[in-house]
Amino acid sequence: MDRRRFLQIASGGVAGGSLASSVGCTKAKRTSRAPERGVREVATTCEMCVNKCSLVAVVKDGVIRKLNPNPRNPKSRGMLCARGNAGLQQVYDPARIKRPLIREGARGEGKWRPASWDEAFDYAASRLGAVKAKYGPQGSLWSSCESFQEVFFQNLALAFGSPNLVRHPSLCLSAVNLAYSLTFGTVPSFDVLNAQYMIMSGSNRMEAFITPDTMDLVHATTERKARLIYLDPRFTVTASKADEWYPIRPGTDLAFILALLNVIVGEKLYNQEFVGTYTIGFDKLAEHLSPYTPAWAENETEIPARDITRIAHEFADAAPRAFYYAGRRSSGYCEEFQMRRAQAILNVIVGNWDRPGGVVPNGKIALGEYLFLPWDDPTAPRIDEIETNFPLAVKGDGAYLKLRENVLAEKPYPVKAWMIHKHDPLNAIPDQNRTLQMLQQMDFVGVIDIEMSDTAWYADVIFPESTYLERQDPIQMLPGLQPVVVFRQPVIAPLYDTKTTLEIAQGLAKRLGASQYFDYTIEQWIEAQAKELPIEQPLEYLKKFGTWSPPGFPQYGSTLSPNHRFVTQSGKIEIYSDRLAEAGHDPLPVYHPPAQPPHGQFRLILGRNAVFTHANSTNNPWLNKLKPDNGLWLNASAAATAGIRAGDRIEVSSKAGSVRMKAHVTEEIRPDCVYMAHGFGKRSQWQRLVHNNGASDAQLIETAWDKVSGGAAMHETFVTVRKV
Amino acid sequence: MAAQRRYALAIDARKCIDCKACVVACRAENGVPLEYSRNWVHEEMRGTWPCLVATFEPGQCQHCDDPACVRVCPTGASRKRTDGIVVVDDTECVGCRYCIVACPYDARFFREDRGVVEKCDFCASRLEAGRLPACVETCPSKVRVFGDLNDPNGRLRKLLATRRYEVKKPESGTGPQIYYLL
Repeated sequence: MDRRRFLQIASGGVAGGSLASSVGCTKAKRTSRAPERGVREVATTCEMCVNKCSLVAVVKDGVIRKLNPNPRNPKSRGMLCARGNAGLQQVYDPARIKRPLIREGARGEGKWRPASWDEAFDYAASRLGAVKAKYGPQGSLWSSCESFQEVFFQNLALAFGSPNLVRHPSLCLSAVNLAYSLTFGTVPSFDVLNAQYMIMSGSNRMEAFITPDTMDLVHATTERKARLIYLDPRFTVTASKADEWYPIRPGTDLAFILALLNVIVGEKLYNQEFVGTYTIGFDKLAEHLSPYTPAWAENETEIPARDITRIAHEFADAAPRAFYYAGRRSSGYCEEFQMRRAQAILNVIVGNWDRPGGVVPNGKIALGEYLFLPWDDPTAPRIDEIETNFPLAVKGDGAYLKLRENVLAEKPYPVKAWMIHKHDPLNAIPDQNRTLQMLQQMDFVGVIDIEMSDTAWYADVIFPESTYLERQDPIQMLPGLQPVVVFRQPVIAPLYDTKTTLEIAQGLAKRLGASQYFDYTIEQWIEAQAKELPIEQPLEYLKKFGTWSPPGFPQYGSTLSPNHRFVTQSGKIEIYSDRLAEAGHDPLPVYHPPAQPPHGQFRLILGRNAVFTHANSTNNPWLNKLKPDNGLWLNASAAATAGIRAGDRIEVSSKAGSVRMKAHVTEEIRPDCVYMAHGFGKRSQWQRLVHNNGASDAQLIETAWDKVSGGAAMHETFVTVRKV
Repeated sequence: MAAQRRYALAIDARKCIDCKACVVACRAENGVPLEYSRNWVHEEMRGTWPCLVATFEPGQCQHCDDPACVRVCPTGASRKRTDGIVVVDDTECVGCRYCIVACPYDARFFREDRGVVEKCDFCASRLEAGRLPACVETCPSKVRVFGDLNDPNGRLRKLLATRRYEVKKPESGTGPQIYYLL
């Protein structure tokens, strides 16, 4: 039996709702083998990372036995990664938060008193009410990452009257999103599946999973012989699989891209018809590029000029099936935004926009909306003063670092209550000491989470959320080349005294005089969402299959008519940006060389791996087993100079702080850089596998941000390393 | 009447990105305690900065044609099924561990808690239910291709007919049935 036949059978099993009863290798087997008693299958959606892959949970006797991939989702393409498989351990983790907790000792002392939900709600509401009475609703801050029920948390914040919502993008992809938005009027996807030539800067896609790009990239480089040019100061898995890998000097990617532009524009290798029809500002580009020659860029990047010229030729030849991949993790440098803009401009001029193998606007699916009672918009200005500091940034997401600095300075007003939703600011934000100071400055800290994160460890009250396998979530639409709707339904009833975010928001709203805004159930919410889907009995369909994807995708060329109006100021794709000029930024990317580490110091660089998500899941035993600690990557020759050997205990120090950890001496990193995995060295004693194990990068990273988007610039820290 | 099956696996290690999905999926499917593993990914790094080569090679029981483990098993607990899958019968295993020593591929371990030897069985219970082995199904880049060598039209046979491959330690003489594509 081949794989295709197997998959057919497997998906047929899901369709039948009961795998055991409807499938078998042969007819004879099917009749001879009775369905296993007490086995149920539930199609739902993973929450172990941000990709939202579809899965089928196998439940026997009320216990989840296995999570299998659900091949119906064209985005996750029938896979479930290590984290997805380890989701079981999240549910059955003995160290889960099992009931509401109220702090007894000092913050961070770890003394808790179990409380009833009523008691926890009453307590939090009275403290939030006290802050509101004294400082106004703007005296509260509401932080979240991203998750299906985040909307209810945000609505509670807005109904409470606070303008101070802050989300993950300014720690993540705000610079890249803003750069592409200002250029194309939208944040597109990259058609990895059909590309012939791809350039990537540090977005280590074979370890930092993004579906379907990761799978498509492996396919592209092994089955289709597409070329991958990869730039990274580390020898990552992606570097090992690339056709060409350049260990570029960190922070100089913009020089490389400008030199590619210089060659392509100078030699007229760009798509003149596309540029003439769809773009504005090209005339200003040619002159702008003249100093940025490959010879100049070699000096900045350490990539040979000859290779830069050749890559430019190959890239232009392969267009439109060629792109410079944006990547997601954009929070690198203070000049990050301009680097991303240069990538976007390079993609523009070779005319890969909206073409197979190029840069394609996302397909979307319309979901219905439940109409709830609207509240008055908050009247106070935001604490991060984003309107004046980062006028082009997405206002609702906030600018995290500027926000923290203003809260610490109580400028322009005091913020004294902090509500945090499934998010660990102590590890997510650079400079942990300052974040800790901000926490300690609060009159009240409330946390909603499933596990005792470091931030939860410092909270006054913790509301335990049910895990993703125990709750009904809103329906979610994932935009992309192939847009998908995913559905998360409870696989088992909650094991402990936990609630959903909606229930927590309702419990608090009732006591904060805002219950009129939450007068609905999750069932009403999802019904309203589902009824817009163009399928029969949409909710029944989703309950059965867990995901739906419309036919007719991917679509190419829908924006390729001369009359199409892009969502930019000019209505065209903007090579030169008046909006940037008006906001006081470079309207075309200008290169400013990054500072280099002084002698004896190293640049601290960060990066993701395939087994942990952000700072969480390092305490998941199945995942921790795969990477049990986070030694500092130090190049072998640099280590020899410093007299450090593999496994030595070392002290790593920056201006932000100092940590002790193990040295991981390796050939796989530039001699002027060090690297450490994220999510170790936890303060929370409930994170027993990573408490007092390794170190937290957040303790070392200094405060710096991208000038345009306000996104944290996490690669601007230099550290010293010494043996202890 | 279908011919007798002969299950085997092809592994395209070029596609392996060392994400360990297969390792965790196996652990979940087979309830393998944390101290042990039925499958693995061997990571190998060669060279000095910046001239480096990395290879990732998944492995597990090779389901040999003439398994050394079966030859040495004193009780018949280790046996090869007619479909080629090499299994350990829990009820017959006395935990003598001869098979662990005999296996050229280090694919077996002794479970202290149960007093028996365990290893990969191609997820035999999943096969009965019409599913692929957990490691094969879950893999993001589809490194493993599972199939029946006796099916001339199957993907596995076609792959082996068109791609170069090797088996590991052919000198062991056990006839390993995991084919590593080159």
